[in-house]
Amino acid sequence: MMNRMRSFRTYGAIFRMRRRMETQYRGAVLGGVVCQVFFGLVLIAVYRALYTGNPQPMALSAITTYVWLQQAFFRMLLASDPDLMEKIRTGAIAYDLCRPLSLYGYYYARILAQKWMGSLLRALPMILLAILLPPGWGLAAPASWAALGCASAALLMGLCCVSAMENITMAFTMRTLDPRGVQAMMNLLMMTFSGNILPLTLFPDRWQRVITLLPYAQLLDAPIRLYTGEYALEEASRILAIQAGWTVILIGIGAYLWRLNQRRLIIQGG
Amino acid sequence: MAFIEVENLNKQFIIRKKREKGQLMRPKEEISALREVSFQVNQGELVGYIGPNGAGKSTTVKILSGILTPDSGCVSVDGLVPWADRKAHVRRIGVVFGQRSQLWWDVPIADSFALLKEIYHVPEAAYQARMGELTEALQLGDLMRTPLRLLSLGQRMRAELCGSLLHSPSLLFLDEPTIGLDAVSKLTLREFLQWENRQRGTTILLTTHDMEDITALCSRVMVLGHGRKLYDGELTDLLARYDTERIITARYEEEISGTAWPEGCQIRRNGENWIITYAPKKIPTAEMMARMQQAGHLRECTVQPQNVDRLIARMYQEMEL
Repeated sequence: MMNRMRSFRTYGAIFRMRRRMETQYRGAVLGGVVCQVFFGLVLIAVYRALYTGNPQPMALSAITTYVWLQQAFFRMLLASDPDLMEKIRTGAIAYDLCRPLSLYGYYYARILAQKWMGSLLRALPMILLAILLPPGWGLAAPASWAALGCASAALLMGLCCVSAMENITMAFTMRTLDPRGVQAMMNLLMMTFSGNILPLTLFPDRWQRVITLLPYAQLLDAPIRLYTGEYALEEASRILAIQAGWTVILIGIGAYLWRLNQRRLIIQGG
Repeated sequence: MAFIEVENLNKQFIIRKKREKGQLMRPKEEISALREVSFQVNQGELVGYIGPNGAGKSTTVKILSGILTPDSGCVSVDGLVPWADRKAHVRRIGVVFGQRSQLWWDVPIADSFALLKEIYHVPEAAYQARMGELTEALQLGDLMRTPLRLLSLGQRMRAELCGSLLHSPSLLFLDEPTIGLDAVSKLTLREFLQWENRQRGTTILLTTHDMEDITALCSRVMVLGHGRKLYDGELTDLLARYDTERIITARYEEEISGTAWPEGCQIRRNGENWIITYAPKKIPTAEMMARMQQAGHLRECTVQPQNVDRLIARMYQEMEL
């Protein structure tokens, strides 16, 4: 018990250190915000053009809200830790391997911190900006306070889930020593099925039944639907259970892959 | 049982080569990094581990530090098998990879140390005491609040050492710790290692290409080549074995004939200087000196110190490495 408490503290310290690193790159935050605001505005302009004279099943304000929240938390979906990649490529990972830690836990703490702080730093100014935009362009209020609460909880679960996915990619990178192959494939799936390119709510109903069960839908789509009220409050516990289920499964797979890795390691360079 | 026991260690790496015309698969090539390597190290020893690039030194260090699993062979460090009892084992060792960094690039080094303290569960009091000791010995006091990226290479290496030792390991692996350092930094580092070894009895295994590191620090050396252990013993014995020629430069008060030299030595003249090359095994240095004094009035005479690098190069050549 004591041991577990102590190692929990260790992972907490790693989380805080990585979180702090993320706040160091303010230029990157600014660049990210500008880029994501641009994408948000373009997407909304497209949807507005589409909606003119063609009433759609989903209200325009729901679409703009969906787009803004997706753009605000974009960093959560698509950002690999450059330090970690560099470590694997150059072999500096050798140091991490001689720490009395579970490698999986070590990297999970780092990835979680990077995605959490990285997306929070970008999301706060973007959400503020999106609230200030005129109706039909900006971010609408949540369906209710309770909906906001459920959405926040679901967002945290989504964060845990996406970190588990990222750690699986890392495990493969350890093997191939170059992330690009796996990443290109994973990114395609991620962009399509997380609802970043096209809100999942606009997919045909029959597709949605399957797509919303995939892990990708648990990251941002589920929290956003709770926020907008697309998912009723009664469904919240079911949504959270699906998210938790995927998180457990993905952590299991990742931890297994890392264990395999550890058994057959080749460290780059002399 | 010795502190470190290594028996018949083998490790192969498989490298895939470029596909030639007509081949379906890329051909595999097996490279033996270690072949039947065995040795023992006692607690408190400071052992030098040398050999040309690619000899298998780093592979040995990686296996001993639990990072790599060997293909066959037994290893026990203080009763533990490194790769099998990894977590318990790594708690008791410190590692410095001279070409890599374990500290965080953008934050003050003190914060990286604080994180390592958490990782190794070092109690606060022990941490304070040890840090006081290390910052003084490594002269890090003024640098603690400086981010790693602003440190010079020498300062960085001192910080790396501090990071590897703050949990007071009983065994320290150093993989080329003086690479790229200037003379002053090298001396500081060597003094520190000696201090750590004597004061705390830390066992140190030092891998390096810098022969001065070895002569300054280690009495025992192990030589590795093509994955095989070629020598294990006193450094002085090793040097004596390959110490086949020595050079004396002498100047005389008067012109001398140069016929009184013992047989088997080579004589060259360079202005006033007589340059004599002889084999110390055939003609002892003392006898050589006596002969030189008989030849005339010696004004000045210098025996060139043994050039360890040249000796080692000769040794590698002779062993066909």
